[in-house]
Amino acid sequence: MTDDKDVLRDVWFGRIPTCFTLYQDEITEREAEPYYLLLPRVSYLTLVTDKVKKHFQKVMRQEDISEMWFEYEGTPLKWHYPIGLLFDLLASSSALPWNITVHFKSFPEKDLLHCPSKDAVEAHFMSCVKEADALKHKSQVINEMQKKDHKQLWMGLQNDRFDQFWAINRKLMEYPAEENGFRYIPFKIYQTETEKWRGEKIERKGDTCSTAPLLVKLETGQTVD
Amino acid sequence: MEEDEFFGEKAFQHYCAEFIKHSQQIGDGWEWRTSKDCSDGYMCKTHFQIKNATMESGSRTSAHIQTCLPMEETIELPLDDSEVTQTTAATEVIRYEYHVLYSPSYQVPVLYFRASFLDGRPVALKDIWEGVHECYKTRLLQAPWDTVTQQEHPILGQPFFVLHPCKTSEFMAPALKHSQKINRDVNYITSWLSVVGPVVGLSLPLSYASAGSRDE
Repeated sequence: MTDDKDVLRDVWFGRIPTCFTLYQDEITEREAEPYYLLLPRVSYLTLVTDKVKKHFQKVMRQEDISEMWFEYEGTPLKWHYPIGLLFDLLASSSALPWNITVHFKSFPEKDLLHCPSKDAVEAHFMSCVKEADALKHKSQVINEMQKKDHKQLWMGLQNDRFDQFWAINRKLMEYPAEENGFRYIPFKIYQTETEKWRGEKIERKGDTCSTAPLLVKLETGQTVD
Repeated sequence: MEEDEFFGEKAFQHYCAEFIKHSQQIGDGWEWRTSKDCSDGYMCKTHFQIKNATMESGSRTSAHIQTCLPMEETIELPLDDSEVTQTTAATEVIRYEYHVLYSPSYQVPVLYFRASFLDGRPVALKDIWEGVHECYKTRLLQAPWDTVTQQEHPILGQPFFVLHPCKTSEFMAPALKHSQKINRDVNYITSWLSVVGPVVGLSLPLSYASAGSRDE
């Protein structure tokens, strides 16, 4: 893995130029200008949009503001999917910047998970890492790490620190020399069909999987390739 | 690897089928559902709880959650005002859904659940936690994010709360070892659900425990 450092860096530092526009029916005291941001592909919406929230809340009254959520062309954006994945699934064939609509009302309870704080993003992220390690190492590597290592992995992602993140993640990407690889390779397949829900399936090494129109997002360890 | 065969998906489906058989005998409401495009299936149950919020004249409130009303019966609320001269009671009916799915990553069953009021409004997690039995509360409150989180249901794609499965094989291991020692057939699902269910307001009638041993 260390031989591919350039590739790892390119993946980590991937960005999507995005334009955030307030939903037209939100109640504002004056007109809201759109807000532009470069979003990291490997991160999560609710982790990197504090500035978006601050920008729009400046023109709104406190009583008109509840949990912020995002939508693209009518589809509520699942914050628990990595940003790069959302873009590739929904907007990759459209011209840049990616135009996202911001809402502060009518949270779509049936479609989106709530994100009450950054702790929720951390819990989700660590849950994914742990599940991946269950397949790779029977959870041995992740469970042998100390809490501070878990924290460092998370802080590396939250603060966009490649070296800090990979200092820990490289242990999750190693396997003993005598074995030829991981016990199972974890990956998730997201299908771009027109059905309402997107399926996820974690396939194991050696299983056949369908080759219907697919976007394959490889999540070995934590990098989304 | 012996653990790979220990609780595979086939074993999961077998124990669920046995569990549902007994549920049908006692009218406990569990049923099996499959998803349209694959052979994956899960077990589910819906039940209703009444939440009483009683207002004392000194304006203190206390909430009592009564358990388990069968779905088919009409819900009758006490209207006898002569007993409650100094208090007013507001009752809310909450609909709980419990789903038991198999996790191929952890090779264990996982409990998904959600709650809503009758008009469809979802019940917030903190309100669900208030309905958790006292003895489980400390554990939940100390590290809530380790134990119960909101996640997407793997088959339905909708938000559910989930009891995280990463510790399941740990706490199930001693019980299973013991049952192997005394050579008694134990339904994994029954044992597991009797441990995790009460943490989120789901109880199992005791007859489940004796259901399996009749097969010996």
